[in-house]
Amino acid sequence: MPNIIACYKWVLDEQDIKINPGNLALDTSRAKCKISEYDRNAIEEAVLQVDKCGAVVASLTFGTSVAKQSLKDALSRGPEKAYWVNDTAAQTADGFVTANVLAAALRKIGDYDLVLCGEGSADTYGQQVGPRVATLLGIPVITFVTEMKIEGNKVIATRKIGDCTETVTADFPVLVTVLPEINKPRIPSLKQVLGAAKKPVTEWKAADLGLATDELSPKNKVKSIKGFVMNRKNVIYKEGSPTEKVASLAATLAKEGVL
Amino acid sequence: MAGIFIYSEDTNVAQQMLTMGRELADKMQQRLCAVTIFEQDAQDLVDAGADKVFVLKGDSAWPESYAPAVADLAAKEEPIAIFIGATLRGKDLAAKVAARLKSGLVTDAFAVRLENGDIETDRVMYGGLAVCTEILQGTSVVTIPPRTFDMPAKVSGRAGEIVKLDVTVDSTMAVGNVCPIVRQGADIATAEKLVCVGRGLGKQEDMQLAKDLAAALGAEIGCTRSIAEDYHWLPNETYIGLSGQKVKPVLYLSMGVSGQVQHVAGIRDSKIIVAIDSNENAPIFAAADYGIVGDLYQIVPLLTEAIRNK
Repeated sequence: MPNIIACYKWVLDEQDIKINPGNLALDTSRAKCKISEYDRNAIEEAVLQVDKCGAVVASLTFGTSVAKQSLKDALSRGPEKAYWVNDTAAQTADGFVTANVLAAALRKIGDYDLVLCGEGSADTYGQQVGPRVATLLGIPVITFVTEMKIEGNKVIATRKIGDCTETVTADFPVLVTVLPEINKPRIPSLKQVLGAAKKPVTEWKAADLGLATDELSPKNKVKSIKGFVMNRKNVIYKEGSPTEKVASLAATLAKEGVL
Repeated sequence: MAGIFIYSEDTNVAQQMLTMGRELADKMQQRLCAVTIFEQDAQDLVDAGADKVFVLKGDSAWPESYAPAVADLAAKEEPIAIFIGATLRGKDLAAKVAARLKSGLVTDAFAVRLENGDIETDRVMYGGLAVCTEILQGTSVVTIPPRTFDMPAKVSGRAGEIVKLDVTVDSTMAVGNVCPIVRQGADIATAEKLVCVGRGLGKQEDMQLAKDLAAALGAEIGCTRSIAEDYHWLPNETYIGLSGQKVKPVLYLSMGVSGQVQHVAGIRDSKIIVAIDSNENAPIFAAADYGIVGDLYQIVPLLTEAIRNK
């Protein structure tokens, strides 16, 4: 019965973020949070292994106090228990910091055979935390996985790498990062949501994991985060009959020399 | 710290990055070094602008297994920055290298420049909604998507140092069963013209509308994520967006695409963006050069006809 840890990040929902047209600053005041989409695939894949090979699944997240709301959501998706590293360092964390924290938490958990992560997070999409964590733990990592199975103490996974697929096999303990196409995450039922409240949660601070200040300090310096401006012509034909609108568009495209 | 490193398991991508690397190295008066696992490509990399090429010779055909070797070399040489081609294999290797070096990693930088003596990078966040500008500190790793920079003008037989190093590879994983993905149609990432299908299309049979328009234009057909992943009307390789294909055609024409931020992030480099959708408030129109607000079932056949008659 393998022990599986599914990692996830509690992120701002980008659909709720507004851009201030004047200074291009991001307004996140009305943004709700969500479990990063790709990480839902990671949790789902972990939970699917419960039926397939009797796996025992826990979730792990690193976030600020805001991430408390995520625990019920994560647990309603199937894990038996949750680990939460609750630290303000998450506010400024980059891939370096996040990987240090998750690797330290996994060392403290100790008994893991398989760690599952999404290929990247919905907010920064740095696509690095999984392989970084594996490197820090000194375990193999299989990235960009579309299909996986556990056989004994091995993971056999299919990766999709641009223009080819390949099968990679590694012994436990191993870390796998999943692509969205690996599964379709469940929508938790009311019973699962209610049941989630009763599941155990272990909460740690970064200090409980023995992490030093430099391990919690991001590497590169963020100079600015601004709204991405698209400078486009925005000539939109709204009025007139379909024939007139098409004639206008066709004439314009011909003039642009793109037909 | 000295020198600028370039690495990709795809030598074309490595050469594209040398275009940017050469300019940066000249401005910073630094040596430009390419790292490769293909000995036969070393002179090509010199011809494309590298001052020095490190050839890593190890007992593996799997590029990912060279991460420890790239990291060891970087730890010894202490370059200012390591630019790695942002193929998926490259991203895997870059994260492992950054972890070993305890350094920062900027993923998918679309711009790199020198500002007050520091290297700055731009990348997108929040699904393409925002741009994050970072100032690199220490030996930082940066991944650069393929085709971000043009191929450099090559000087055949240009002088450069080539150093071969015997390295140990990571052998904790067994790789087999490598299958090329057979594409139906052309690679949309490099298509000159694209017709993109979104959820505004009611049923799969209506794909014919897109096919007719694409045929009239001489375009390839791409789609949004849900058309590929939820509806399976087109293969996964043809969905456009942040986590799918990033396209840069001369003409991108969408039909029934609402223009979610992640999709728009994938079409940003198109020269001309045209949108056809019935919803006047669809975000795609803000991202478009030209557009028609209307029923695509009326508009598209008329447009196909108009283009055929040109």
